[in-house]
Amino acid sequence: MDEFGELALREREARRIARRQWFWLHFAVYATTQVFLIVIWALSSSSYPWFVFPLFGWGILIAAHAVYAFVVRDPEEILVERAARGTAGTAERDESER
Amino acid sequence: MSWFLRAYAERRTWRAVAYLLLGLPLGVLGFVVLVTGISLGLGLLVTLLGIPVLVVTVLVARTLASFERRLAWSLLDAPMPSGGRVPDEPERGLWRRLRAMLTGRRTWWELGFLLLRFPLGLLDFLVVTTIAALAFSGLVQPILVAAGVHSEIGGWTIDTFWESLVLVPVSVVFLVAGPRLVLGWARIPAWFATTMLGRLDQGDVKRAVVRTLARTGEADGFRLLDELELQFGRGPFLNPTRVEAALLALESTGHVVGHRDGGRILYALA
Repeated sequence: MDEFGELALREREARRIARRQWFWLHFAVYATTQVFLIVIWALSSSSYPWFVFPLFGWGILIAAHAVYAFVVRDPEEILVERAARGTAGTAERDESER
Repeated sequence: MSWFLRAYAERRTWRAVAYLLLGLPLGVLGFVVLVTGISLGLGLLVTLLGIPVLVVTVLVARTLASFERRLAWSLLDAPMPSGGRVPDEPERGLWRRLRAMLTGRRTWWELGFLLLRFPLGLLDFLVVTTIAALAFSGLVQPILVAAGVHSEIGGWTIDTFWESLVLVPVSVVFLVAGPRLVLGWARIPAWFATTMLGRLDQGDVKRAVVRTLARTGEADGFRLLDELELQFGRGPFLNPTRVEAALLALESTGHVVGHRDGGRILYALA
C-alpha cells in the first residue's frame, strides 16, 4: 500500500467511526424519548399502551440506521479492501517481483 | 447569548428557512408528478402509450431533481458535484441516451429523492412553523387577552393578563434559540440532498482519471484527487477511496499502469 492508499484507509476508518457515532447518538435520543413516553404512560390513567407506536415506528428507523452504520458499505470500499487483501495492483506486483 | 442572536443577522439562516418552507410545496409537486406519471405510464403500458408517458415522467423528474440540487446547493450550501458528466463518451442517438438515462444509477437516486422529499419536506415545514409558532404565540397572548380573545391550551383557558404571561418565557427561549435550531435542523436536509442528489457515478470518476492522466502524463493518487476536486468540487461524493477504486478498476482493465516511486505509486495511461 502506498501513501495514498494509507490516506484512503484512514479516511474510510474515519467515515466508519463517524457513522457509528451518529448511530449511537441517534440510539441515545431514541432510548431517552421512549423511556420518557413509557413513564408518561405509566403515570397517566391510560390503560391503552399507546407508547408502542413510537417505540416500533421509530424502532424501524433505528434498525435501518444500525444496518447503515454497521453493515452497509460502499461498493468502492469493498473493491479497495478486497484488492488490499488479495489481488494487488500492478505497482504492488512489480514491487513484489523485485 | 450573542451567538444565538447573531444567527438572525446571518443570511444562511434565512436561506435555510426558505429551503425548509419550500419543502412542502416542492415535495408535493415532485410526489404528485412522480406518482401520477408512473401509475399512468404503467397502466397504459399494455397499449404502448405508457412508454412515452414513463419516459416523459422520468425526464420531468430529472428536471425537478436538477432544480432541487441547485436549491440545496444554493440555500443550504449542500456539497454537490459540479461539472456533471465527463463528456468523453457522449451517448449518440436518442435511444442510447434514453437507455443511459434509465440505466444510470443517478436517475434512480433522483426518483428516490423526489418520493422521499414529500414526507421529509412536510417535516421540514412543520419544524420551521412550529418553532415560529412557539416563538411568537407566547408574546401575542397578552395582546390577545387585552383584545378580549381567549385562547385554549388543552383544557386551560387563558383569559387573564397574568395567565397570558405564563407562556412568555417559552416564547423568549424559542425566539432566542429558534434560528440556531433551524440551522441545526437544516443540516439534516442538506445531508439528505447531498446523499441522494450529490452522487458521482464511478464511471464519471474513471473517465475523469483517464482525462487527467492524458493531460498530465503521470500522476499519483494525491495529484489525481486534487485534479478531480478542481473539476467536481469538494464533498463526500469524492474521496481517496473512490479515486483508489477507480485506479484499481482501470488497472485491472489495462487502461492504466502504475509503478512505484518511493512511498508513492505513479499512474500513467497504458
